[in-house]
Amino acid sequence: MNKIKKLTEIHNSGKPYIIYKSQKGFDLYTNFSKKIILNNKNIKSFLNSRQKNKSNNTDLFIGFFGYELLNYLINIKLPKQKNINFPKGIFYKPETKIHLSDSFEYKFKNRFKSNNFKINIDINSYTKIFNKFKKKIKRGETYQIKICTKYKTKSKINPLDFFCRLSKTNLAPEAFLIKDKDYSIISCSPENLITKKGDHISTKPIAGTLKKTRVLNKSKALNYFRKNIKETKEHNMIVDMERNDLSRICKVGSVKLSKQKIVEEYKDLFHYVSLIEGKLKKNIKNIDIIKAMMPGGSVIGCPKINTLNLLNNQEKENRNIYTGSFGYIKFNGDMRFNIIIRSILNFKNISEISVASGVVVDSNAKNEFNENYIKAKALIDLYK
Amino acid sequence: MIYVIDHNDSFTHNVVHQFSLFDKVECDNYNQLNKDKLKKATVLVFSPGPGNPKNYPMTSKIYKKFKGQKKIIGICLGFQQILFCEGGKIIEQKKIYHGYQSTVKVVSDRSLFEIGKKFKVGRYHSLKLKEPFKRKNFDITMRCLNSKVAMSFENNNEKIYGFQFHPESFLTIDGNLLIKKILSA
Repeated sequence: MNKIKKLTEIHNSGKPYIIYKSQKGFDLYTNFSKKIILNNKNIKSFLNSRQKNKSNNTDLFIGFFGYELLNYLINIKLPKQKNINFPKGIFYKPETKIHLSDSFEYKFKNRFKSNNFKINIDINSYTKIFNKFKKKIKRGETYQIKICTKYKTKSKINPLDFFCRLSKTNLAPEAFLIKDKDYSIISCSPENLITKKGDHISTKPIAGTLKKTRVLNKSKALNYFRKNIKETKEHNMIVDMERNDLSRICKVGSVKLSKQKIVEEYKDLFHYVSLIEGKLKKNIKNIDIIKAMMPGGSVIGCPKINTLNLLNNQEKENRNIYTGSFGYIKFNGDMRFNIIIRSILNFKNISEISVASGVVVDSNAKNEFNENYIKAKALIDLYK
Repeated sequence: MIYVIDHNDSFTHNVVHQFSLFDKVECDNYNQLNKDKLKKATVLVFSPGPGNPKNYPMTSKIYKKFKGQKKIIGICLGFQQILFCEGGKIIEQKKIYHGYQSTVKVVSDRSLFEIGKKFKVGRYHSLKLKEPFKRKNFDITMRCLNSKVAMSFENNNEKIYGFQFHPESFLTIDGNLLIKKILSA
């Protein structure tokens, strides 16, 4: 209870803090001694910087890379887009780390409500984009591509209240909250992109999500995924793509598909996941790992470079944090990063929620458009 | 040394790792090729990639230059690239195979592989070879069991080989064996 009091205290003080899901519970990071706002000019020196202290549990940088910055790192230029001038990436050096249990409570009364979310692409323009990409798939220009839609509303929310309620309904393994003075991010990301310890690295792509019902158990979910050709094809592609990305930085023969298309059970969902592991080559730096793995393939499509270019030329609005990565880099070189999906960005009194779903030849525009809405709904419902 | 020519694909490094089991491998993107490596290589591998052989005139040029002098192996787009250079037409197919596992069968007695043998393989292609395709020394040696689409060719005279499927995919069983046999031919 003491810790909960402390969390409420930190929150009420207005001090920036970060909460990140750990294996058992959450870790709270605060008392930031440094805040590094990333841009094209300082990103490389940030990633190449070396730190002396390595033994404290706060000897790390924690924060996020936005989508645009990750494109920049692999030499992909974005065309001019509508931009809210949100920072391209921010990392913090915490001086305090506090462990919280899974079921932390936060009581808050004057909840902000909104039923006024606006979507940036309507069904008609969505269908046009969808059909255009379908043609490109037929011509072999891309094998799979994800169309992103954005929901926005004016907002004045209490991020801790939102995060607390979201974690109650959906305890996601890569969930996080960033609360800073001028912005906040609330996320129930389920997907780990990089776990690096010493020379060992793994990635755990998700392709396939199923909502739990009373009659649906784990083996029935597995059966559903196996019979669903669209999910299976998408998943296969992601597995080969992630094997490829790890092979760029791992020793020959070390990249292993150690869990192949298994079902993981979460509080409200089943996920169809694979686990791919490898041993890093000598002399591979963290910047090499980030360039090889990010942005995470499962939320972009395949092959990565061509598909990114197709996406970027299509999208009129900057993705900001969406399909970027949040996580930490420890001073000893170990890293953990997720893929930023199922997240709310609050900036300048506007909440934005981005979602995407995949175009494959045998899906139709209306279904995918609706799937996007279903994905956003879990977050939009928090505003009710 | 094996030189893998990458066409900006997200599967090329699986190819690199697979070939590295048998020899030293170098890999560069098709628009950043190194002349010395090209000269030094004993085997050239054309990687998979997005688009159509028409998009990669540089690779066609390399093929024509080194044909007959070095062993050349094409995978997916690479397979199409070689056939395109040999006068084949590459066309869209009705059913699209991105992330499929299919069974292919050895259909030629001039193949390095035993006629009638079946393999489970991973496929990522929306385009295919238009048939009939006839070219001296080039034999279609494997076909999809169901659709009969051309899945591999062999030119054992000039040591040119191609797979429409992906031997390096986790969906391909015995992919290493396929590559080993081609490399030792």
